[in-house]
Amino acid sequence: MMPIERLADMEEKLRILEDLNMIYIRQIALSLKDSDIQKKIDYEIRMREGACKLLAACSQRDQALEASKSLLTCNARIMAYMSELQRMKEAQVMQRVARRSSDAGPMDDRSPCKGKVAISDLRIPLMWKDTDYFKNKGELHRCAVFCLLQLGGEIFDTDMVMVDRTLTDICFDNTIVFNEAGPGFELRVELYSCCSEEDYSAGSTPRKLASKLSSSLGRSAGKKMRAALEPGACSATSNGGGATILLPVPSVQGPKYHLLAHTTLSLSHVQDSFRTHDLTITGNEECSYWLPLYGGVCCRLAAQPHCMTQQMMSGCLRVKLGGEPQGWTNVYGVLKGTNLFCYHQKEDMEAKVEPVLTIGINKETRIRAAEKDPHSKAQNICITNQYGGEEVTHTLAADSREDTQRWMEAFWQQFFDMSQWRQCCDDLMKIELPSPRKPAIVTPKQGSLYHEMVIDKSDDIGTVTDILARRIEEFELRAQLGSPPHWMALFDEDPPHTPQHLPPHSPSPRLHSRQPRSPRCQRTPGLLSSNASLTSDSDSPASVSPCFRQAWSPVASSSSGRFRPRTLSLDAKLSTLRGRGYNGFRCNCQPPTASSVSPRPTQTALSCSSSTSSSSSSEGSNSQESDLGFSRPSGARRSLRILRAKLDPRNWLQSQV
Amino acid sequence: MSFIPGQPVSAVVQRIEIHKLYEGDNLILGFSIGGGIDQDPTQNPFSEDKTDKGIYVTRVSKGGPAEVAGLRLGDKIMQVNGWDMTMVTHDQARKKLTKKNEDVVRLLVTRKSLEETVRQSMMQH
Repeated sequence: MMPIERLADMEEKLRILEDLNMIYIRQIALSLKDSDIQKKIDYEIRMREGACKLLAACSQRDQALEASKSLLTCNARIMAYMSELQRMKEAQVMQRVARRSSDAGPMDDRSPCKGKVAISDLRIPLMWKDTDYFKNKGELHRCAVFCLLQLGGEIFDTDMVMVDRTLTDICFDNTIVFNEAGPGFELRVELYSCCSEEDYSAGSTPRKLASKLSSSLGRSAGKKMRAALEPGACSATSNGGGATILLPVPSVQGPKYHLLAHTTLSLSHVQDSFRTHDLTITGNEECSYWLPLYGGVCCRLAAQPHCMTQQMMSGCLRVKLGGEPQGWTNVYGVLKGTNLFCYHQKEDMEAKVEPVLTIGINKETRIRAAEKDPHSKAQNICITNQYGGEEVTHTLAADSREDTQRWMEAFWQQFFDMSQWRQCCDDLMKIELPSPRKPAIVTPKQGSLYHEMVIDKSDDIGTVTDILARRIEEFELRAQLGSPPHWMALFDEDPPHTPQHLPPHSPSPRLHSRQPRSPRCQRTPGLLSSNASLTSDSDSPASVSPCFRQAWSPVASSSSGRFRPRTLSLDAKLSTLRGRGYNGFRCNCQPPTASSVSPRPTQTALSCSSSTSSSSSSEGSNSQESDLGFSRPSGARRSLRILRAKLDPRNWLQSQV
Repeated sequence: MSFIPGQPVSAVVQRIEIHKLYEGDNLILGFSIGGGIDQDPTQNPFSEDKTDKGIYVTRVSKGGPAEVAGLRLGDKIMQVNGWDMTMVTHDQARKKLTKKNEDVVRLLVTRKSLEETVRQSMMQH
């Protein structure tokens, strides 16, 4: 069997296994009468399928990285839900066993209240060699990184950040809030990274090979082999190998993230300010995804137990105010956080009126039930606090015995929670809710002039012309015989002199030959209108870019274009030209932001910008045509060119088959 | 050859069977394609209707398997081995043509001249 067929067979088996496991999982969920987790698992599986499809379909590197990240997160979540399901099943079985054997003790363990745990402002310092950082030479080794945060059954991922040696720290701006965390929580922070090298030159061979294999598009056989051969290809997270059998991960092409570092945070790490924690680093310098981490992670870990934020108990009480034994005042008491607030009436609390009396309930407070008061039906509750060396006791009474019991119970629970949550109960820690996230702006790298030019809004047209003028000098040096792009005629109001006919099948067109004939072109001052969305129209019919030399007779218009200073903006001319239907290869100039056309006696920049962009586009289309007969250019360069051509949406891509 | 959404597309097609040729390690067909639903249709020099996002033949190597089989420049490929080519991305089309374990591709192509030929022959009868 051919290796590809064997792989397809394996995939078939994996799929069957997956189906069987899904049935098993559903049975467990059914027996637990818990449909919640089932729904969550189903949802994550759907998300995962979507991510796989997106990964297979997308062609841009950034999209692929994002999709791969979503895939990893989905997998982690599925693992977490499944292990939770298993645990619940085990717990159920254990309970049944315990009940049957009658040695189960009284179940009066108090359980602490849950709380919110928030982690924010993650910052991981990097430790580049100072030579790397300051010299900034050579190819930029870039990695895409993100953090996966897991607490209990909740898993969140941060946004993806591209890291290269110009960064000193990896910063994640996200605030992640976990809602139902117990005081014994374990927050696992994992840093994943994926090499994102676009340069195929230099570097260590394994890295180069690895990046080639993982980032080349369309090499399905090689990718499948690699995914199958790679150890641990099936496990997206480090959650033990056993779980991977349950729901095997479909092997997909595309960038793969690897675990770079991890750490586990718990209650002792919670503080209202920033702290640095140690990171355990997996991986070494040989790995493609390696980054020189300093070894720590700085973040703010805050916790808000529910006992601090929610009303734990409320009801009507009577307070003895003043020294008189008969001075009972009716109040509405609310136990929240470290205080018992007593309001005149319930409505006051809702109206946020100041309470009549506030009794502190904290670690130092002592509460006891007093002897039965002969005048009342129930016991009194005495709350004693130390206020600056003095002991102050408040006496409260509830309406009935049950109420007293409930209040005492609430107080005990509060004390218990405070002992469990420790430092979190001293003061309420602020947690900022994350604002709705803006979608990450993905700018694909394009090989056109406008992406190589950096123009500030404050720059004037002068900067643009300077850049373009520089370009034209480089360009002129390379000018050879060949007809100028036909859009040159836009700047010529005279009718074209002699239409140029290019030979229909010119041999091996090289980049240079596409450029206009400099000797003949008199470059009188003229300025490229930055507005020019140059279309391939001119006075001559069926004009076609020289890039596209096929059977249609390329009628490039006048080569000897004279450029005259334009006093009017080109917009008018261009709009008329656009109005006419055009047939042919559109020249690729995008209108940038600068708007005015100032006639200046600088060299015409027209030709250079268009030629640069048409050179990028011709490079795209050229790559496939540049050979005669059946020879193909080398694979790597070809795929790189195809990638560039694909990224440029203004190209009309052609592929050789 | 424009399509009206909701209406079936009909065209006069010619069957072309191309046998791939080994060129070193690769199997090649000897032509180039352009177009696709992810490409800009206005840049297609072969299409009559500039909104047509179909797959067109943009180059035929001289003496190659495609030319020998009868493929011509400017042909619009409708199907490849039964797979539809009228609503595919450029890369999908390329993939359907370059499957490594197939050494024959059967295309259904259409061109303007076909329609005229058919019309003329019908008129004669």
